[in-house]
Amino acid sequence: MQRMISAHQEGQEGQPALPSRRAHLQQWLGLGAIAFAGLLPRSVHAANQRLVCVGGALTEIVYALGASADLAGVDTTSLYPPAAQALPSVGYARTLSAEGILALAPSMLLATEDAGPPTVIRQIENAGIAVHVLAANHQFEGLLQRVQKVGELTGHVREATELQTRLRTEWQLVRTNVEAHSAASPRVLFILSHSMSQVMVAGQDTSADAMLRYAGARNAMQGFTGFKPLTPEAVIAAQPDIILLTDLGLKAAGSKAAILKLPGLAQTPAGRKQRIVSMETMLLLGFGPRLPLALKELDRSLQSAMQAG
Amino acid sequence: MRIPFRSTPSAHWGNKWHVTLLLATTLLALAIASSIGAVPISWRDWLPPLHGENTGNSYVLWELRLPRTLLALLAGGMLGVAGALAQGLFRNPLADPGLLGVNSGAACAAALTIVFADSLPWGLPAGLRPWLLPLAAFAGALLVCFTLDRVARWITPGSIAGLLLTGIALNAIAVAVLGLCTYLSTDEQLRSLSFWTLGSLAGAGWTIVGVALLMLLMAIWQVRRLARAMNALALGEAAAAHIGIEVATLRSRTILIVALLVGATVAWCGMISFISLIAPHLVRTLHGSDQRRVLPLSIFVGGLLLLIADTLARTLATPAEIPVGIFTALLGGPFFLMLLNQTRERIG
Amino acid sequence: MNPATINLINQPLLVMESASLRLGRHHFGPYTLTLHAGERVAVLGPSGAGKTTLLKLASRELHHSGGHISLLGRDIRHYSLREMSRRRAVLAQTTHVAFGMQTELVVSLGRAALEIDPHLTTIVHNAMQLAHAAHLAGRKMDQLSGGEQARIHLARIFAQLWDIEQGLVMMDEPLAALDPGLQGELLDSMQSYAEARGHALLAILHDINQALHAFDRLLLVNNGQLESQVKADLHALPALQSLYGIHLGSLMTPDGQAVVYRKKNAALTARPQAHSHLNS
Repeated sequence: MQRMISAHQEGQEGQPALPSRRAHLQQWLGLGAIAFAGLLPRSVHAANQRLVCVGGALTEIVYALGASADLAGVDTTSLYPPAAQALPSVGYARTLSAEGILALAPSMLLATEDAGPPTVIRQIENAGIAVHVLAANHQFEGLLQRVQKVGELTGHVREATELQTRLRTEWQLVRTNVEAHSAASPRVLFILSHSMSQVMVAGQDTSADAMLRYAGARNAMQGFTGFKPLTPEAVIAAQPDIILLTDLGLKAAGSKAAILKLPGLAQTPAGRKQRIVSMETMLLLGFGPRLPLALKELDRSLQSAMQAG
Repeated sequence: MRIPFRSTPSAHWGNKWHVTLLLATTLLALAIASSIGAVPISWRDWLPPLHGENTGNSYVLWELRLPRTLLALLAGGMLGVAGALAQGLFRNPLADPGLLGVNSGAACAAALTIVFADSLPWGLPAGLRPWLLPLAAFAGALLVCFTLDRVARWITPGSIAGLLLTGIALNAIAVAVLGLCTYLSTDEQLRSLSFWTLGSLAGAGWTIVGVALLMLLMAIWQVRRLARAMNALALGEAAAAHIGIEVATLRSRTILIVALLVGATVAWCGMISFISLIAPHLVRTLHGSDQRRVLPLSIFVGGLLLLIADTLARTLATPAEIPVGIFTALLGGPFFLMLLNQTRERIG
Repeated sequence: MNPATINLINQPLLVMESASLRLGRHHFGPYTLTLHAGERVAVLGPSGAGKTTLLKLASRELHHSGGHISLLGRDIRHYSLREMSRRRAVLAQTTHVAFGMQTELVVSLGRAALEIDPHLTTIVHNAMQLAHAAHLAGRKMDQLSGGEQARIHLARIFAQLWDIEQGLVMMDEPLAALDPGLQGELLDSMQSYAEARGHALLAILHDINQALHAFDRLLLVNNGQLESQVKADLHALPALQSLYGIHLGSLMTPDGQAVVYRKKNAALTARPQAHSHLNS
């Protein structure tokens, strides 16, 4: 099952590896596109596309490309823009229903790696639906590739190119700002929490770690990958200057004061100076078209937190 | 004067009339369940798909819905008869494989293979790959069954409370191991884990339906031969031996069948609780406790229950779906409390 | 009677030769006894003396660690459970039936080892009648009183060896849960059942009078040992006195039966209750 998933992930070169007829067509077209790069307009799928999008960032890209009219359904993480919430929901990305998605009569399923279960993805594919699993690699370049890819798949190549240009410009601006004051890079602890009894902190190879790096901050937690449960001693040892949370996490905790009651936090510089910053989850971690905005906001929040304390 | 017997002791393999009725009900339920779902199906789609041109609604019906409804029936039947066997073996209506930790044991072993199969020092033959999960689940279920059997015979003989407490302990261990697996798993593995810890029939396909049918038929064939001996076991192990039942053989064979059935359902459908508790109990309430009826009828009732639960699970929130394990637990939890209340004076 | 059965008549049914067993710190046996077809033997002794263990050894519920036990000349360890079930039936002290089974089903279970059993329905019916349980047909076990359940189990034992001759019926306090009137009737049923088939009865009893009245021989068990075997008549009184550590007296009823009673002290004469007991 695992091998199957990886076989269907499309590499960064944008080479589809799907066995279906449609995929062969795309592959052929894709090769053609590489051969005549920039010479031919590629709007293969322009007419009557019906798109089911699993993954908030992908949905954002679809909206940013002006392709939202094609959307037939989205998953529960597709919260932005708010208009997406009015679309039929196919449920949680990891427990999709083959028949439920097929009932929306889609011509294409766009999904992040999170989408599953694998059998359901295979069933949808076997039903003759083009399934595209786009890797999330937590890099700005990855975002550009996904914009490109979604543009090609939805027949909005021109808009994709424009969006890429705009993103590059914005990104450059934000990055320049960040680098201007990168001398003092704060140590930041990112806490992912849905309830105060279940607190996870971000290690390496996470979206939060990538964002912190772009923001010129250092992830206070080093030495492990993924999200792991918080141990008070490790938190004290990490000596974070700032605690970073999602808005939902902060809401679940109730208040900043409640966050500081977490074991160990009071003994850190962040705890002593009460430096707690929160951001919207999909904005901060989604790596969607709002990435420059997210970085700008994160940078500003971190800076003002450091200056306040 | 001859006393008219309500059920003659020579009654075999259930009552013909009841079986016909149940068969009809099952077929009707199957037809209804297959015709409702997120995609509207017309009678035309029921025609068998012609050479490979199997797309659209016909695909939904023949490749998604029919295998799934059939698997619901078969898996429910397997759970139902496994429950009846376990209850007969431990001589108590509360001895449900799920409550006793058999399902968790199977899930646990399967989770371990998902997380660790790739990091084994020796490579696995490619042909074995698809069978690894069911085999592991079977091994896990078997291990739990044997532990329970030991406990039932030596540590707390004859006490359902002791057995259920052992079940709690085994469940706790299984939950811990599952948690450990989740902790150690990569994102990709986590996707596989979360799929079947919730319990779902979404993975149904014709191959699984075929294997499940074979297993169920095999179980029925074995159970037919065990049913009378299972009745004798209701008198207790000593009395059963006195009337000529090879109790040790009966126990080990029953355990093997229960582990096989539970292991297979867990591997294919994840943890689906309470069907194995409710189905035999309903049968006993309606038809008395003759195992020659309870065992076969539990197959039907278990199948129907899971079919209904899964049909609700996949139609209530379309186009999304609710994991069926949640449904059966919602159904079964209160039922278990009711049963506990009924038998409270006999516990302890 | 077929020739094979005739051949068995002179062969003892059950032979125990110094059969012994160690259970933890307790040592049981050696038990040595011979039981012939048609014999009625009562096992008496104070509580915890090892009566039940003796019965469990003879029925192979427990395996003897020393000595030898044979049934019809064949080592009981060489019998399959199924073969054993066609030779001897065992009524345990208490049997809890799970799931509230129907009474006829429980009775029919006595014959569960038989693959083909064409007369099952009739036998179950007759066995229930003999055990004074015919009126309980159609009821469920968990709705019956202790005495009613005991009768169903007795019927099950009857059904098990119904069509067998010269079998062995072992019973552990078969009458304990019954009221006195029924005790007498069921004792009669057991006797006529055993007599008609040449079955031997081996029963653990608490009531000395029942033992003397309805049995041929008494096995007196104490401290895990078989103290003595005596004929079931008034000559057994001295042995019984020492077995239970009480003084026993006896008197004759008007219809010529001996009744044994416990003396509070040597001077005390018979109490009138003894009469009413026997006549009831």
